[in-house]
Amino acid sequence: MPPRLNLLTSTRSIPYRPKVQAQWLARPTTRAAPWQSRAYSDSKDPPSADRSKRIESQPLPHISEEAAKIAEITGTQGPDVNKGTPVEEVVKGDKEAEKKLPKVMQDALKSKANSPPKGSRSYSTTTTPIGGNGGGNGGGLDMGLVGFNPPFTTPETPGLKFGMPTLPLPKDGHVKHRYDPVVDQVTNLLMRHGKKSIAQRDMALILQHLRTSPIPTINPSRPLLPGAPPPSHLPLNPILYLTLAIDSVAPLMRIRSQKGAAGGGVALQIPVPLGQRQRRRAAVQWILSAASKRRNRGSGKGSFAQRVAEELVSVVEGRSSVWDRRNGVHKLGVSARANVVLPRKR
Amino acid sequence: MPSPICLRSLSQLSLDRAANVSITSRTLLAPQTACFSTSAARYAAPPSKRKGMVAPPKRGERTLNVKKGRKAPSADTGKRPAPGDRKAMRKRIVLTNDNALEVSSLKDLDKATALSEKNEGQVRGLPEQVVDALRAVEAFKTTQGWSLFRRPATLMRKETIQLAKLLKEVEDPVDGQQKKTLRRVLSGDRMSGKSTLLLQGLAMAFLRDWVVINLPEAQDITNAHTDYAPLPSSQTQQYTQDTYTATLLSQILKANLKFLEATPVTTNPPLPLPLPAKPTLKHLAELGIANPEASWPVFVALWQELTQPGHPPIMLAIDGLSHIMRNSEYLSADVKPIHAHDLTLIRHFVDHLSGAKPLPNGGIVLAATSQSNAPTSPALDYCVQVAEAMQSHPDNIPHWNPYKNVDQRAMDVLKDLLVPGSGGAKGLDVIRVGGLSKQEARSIMEYYAESGMLRAKVDDGFVSEKWSLAGMGNIGELERVSVRLRI
Repeated sequence: MPPRLNLLTSTRSIPYRPKVQAQWLARPTTRAAPWQSRAYSDSKDPPSADRSKRIESQPLPHISEEAAKIAEITGTQGPDVNKGTPVEEVVKGDKEAEKKLPKVMQDALKSKANSPPKGSRSYSTTTTPIGGNGGGNGGGLDMGLVGFNPPFTTPETPGLKFGMPTLPLPKDGHVKHRYDPVVDQVTNLLMRHGKKSIAQRDMALILQHLRTSPIPTINPSRPLLPGAPPPSHLPLNPILYLTLAIDSVAPLMRIRSQKGAAGGGVALQIPVPLGQRQRRRAAVQWILSAASKRRNRGSGKGSFAQRVAEELVSVVEGRSSVWDRRNGVHKLGVSARANVVLPRKR
Repeated sequence: MPSPICLRSLSQLSLDRAANVSITSRTLLAPQTACFSTSAARYAAPPSKRKGMVAPPKRGERTLNVKKGRKAPSADTGKRPAPGDRKAMRKRIVLTNDNALEVSSLKDLDKATALSEKNEGQVRGLPEQVVDALRAVEAFKTTQGWSLFRRPATLMRKETIQLAKLLKEVEDPVDGQQKKTLRRVLSGDRMSGKSTLLLQGLAMAFLRDWVVINLPEAQDITNAHTDYAPLPSSQTQQYTQDTYTATLLSQILKANLKFLEATPVTTNPPLPLPLPAKPTLKHLAELGIANPEASWPVFVALWQELTQPGHPPIMLAIDGLSHIMRNSEYLSADVKPIHAHDLTLIRHFVDHLSGAKPLPNGGIVLAATSQSNAPTSPALDYCVQVAEAMQSHPDNIPHWNPYKNVDQRAMDVLKDLLVPGSGGAKGLDVIRVGGLSKQEARSIMEYYAESGMLRAKVDDGFVSEKWSLAGMGNIGELERVSVRLRI
């Protein structure tokens, strides 16, 4: 059966990107059911229809019934009148018609979940990672899940000494990428005077501290990345804990000061977007400088590592000053966004 | 009362350099002041401050820095910890991790099954009172990974079962005659689990209601951090360490409280202080704890009591053996180094290790060597090497290097290690702590995974990968590569 009305052309005015959901988001699994209600309770004609005997004074029938009648006359198949008319669908996108809807429907339209909550920004201050490091759980944060399905084995090929490798190749198969990228990067940033083994020891101590510290309480005003696991999962997966803390405070842009561009000796501040690795680097530098200002509690080798770990915990709990720093950069970036020079389109 | 002439001559005495130079030059010197006079200094003008000398800024204080290009993050400006914090942090022992998962299949050791051979290759939990006792004798070390798991548990490895057999041998001797005193030195590679094996021995002894005396760290006894005093009436001069002995007594009391409370003092020990009426061993120990100056006689009296017939066997243990096989850091009155064997506590231990004094009720003397904190002791190294060679390849025994200095006292103590023969006959032997087998590695890694500390599927390939990375199953390295996330 063809659709009752050819409404698709009007409802598809909003651009729709059929992008694969790369990340797990806590969304309700039930989808909104199609509109099933009728505008009136009875299947018969509306009561106003039989007030007058004259055809021209009778009110117009309902839009679906009219379409059905026209279809009957022209001999084509019209909409099924037994199913009622989806008024929302008809008026969708038509501002004039929406204004004239009954108040109930207008309220329902206003309270639709797709409109942002009051007081929220019209722009996003977070990004979702694209593609990347996910092995088996489809990009985004590496939840550290262990796959218990046996890997796909290629059939035996005669003539091979060791057989074909099992697919997919393991994440840590390459010697240069065998460790987690975040852990690798933070280790290198922890390194002083080229002493990598000391940095690696510090990294291990940081992860151990994250693993033994109590479950963090998330500050709702300082939300973590969307798609983050519940806080009770974090201590058992310290690498995820670390990644989440760093990615949550990572700035989206840096401010480049262009000398002489503004005139009058003032530097023009231009926001420049950062790549994922650059964003992480900025966040880690902030966290390390905040950690070095903390009060030193222990002595000996692990004291800096411990302060870094405490700073990471306070980032996740929303207490850290790094958040203010990130927000400051974003604020400056928003106020200077007019200075962004986009390439001219032809 | 000195005479006035005397005083006057003293006031005119000149001690400065001018007194030694010739008269002419003395008269040329401008201010002629008496040596004891303070008036010149008092009436002198205050020294003018040199310009441009400003005190350096305090640590952590921000100063105006107008130089360009100094944006590098400043060095560590964190505040210093409060006094005492550092040591507390360093010595802190955490035995629980609330985040780790409870392992449902974990069974505890108990008195009946502690020495059973069925435990081999299994991970067993330590019951709570044993954990308390082990904590009291400081058997847990800060470098061990107890803080990662829900509660302390150990892998009963091959060497542990070997030790359990020794305990069984002491408890019921085969031929029904006198009780045995077995002496063992634990040797092995770095991080191979020597201290943990010692801890397992102590735990089994606690479970079997033995009396346990543990010297937690030999270095603490010989590194001259505690007071010492010569012991009167000793032929070769010996030295007591009163504070240390008092601490040791309190550890013994805390760990063996049940036995010491229940046992009355039977002998009449010569003590400098009176005991209460109807004294028990607990009163005796408390006397030594309260009066450190009497702690050594109290220790001797307590040992005398413990070795009375009918009392339980004794487990005597030390960690870090090479520290006591050399000169200690203490100096004698004529500024000569004191040999560690001249300290009374060490002498007491060493007499039992060498077999000079047996344990009348039977028992085990355990000494763990260390590879990471071990001063050179050629005698100990040689004796251990020879004993290991006699166990593994008896046709190729190493020889003493004549260019090394021999510590004859240490060599005398360990000479039983050089006697050819198998373990039971010799009395003193080594237990070589080697790598885990793959089954043992698998069982401990399954425990890691069940605790949630290891996020991987434990299968044969994974186990043999980690086992090889850990140097053929060295347990410390295995823990490092699988749980500690040490890259």
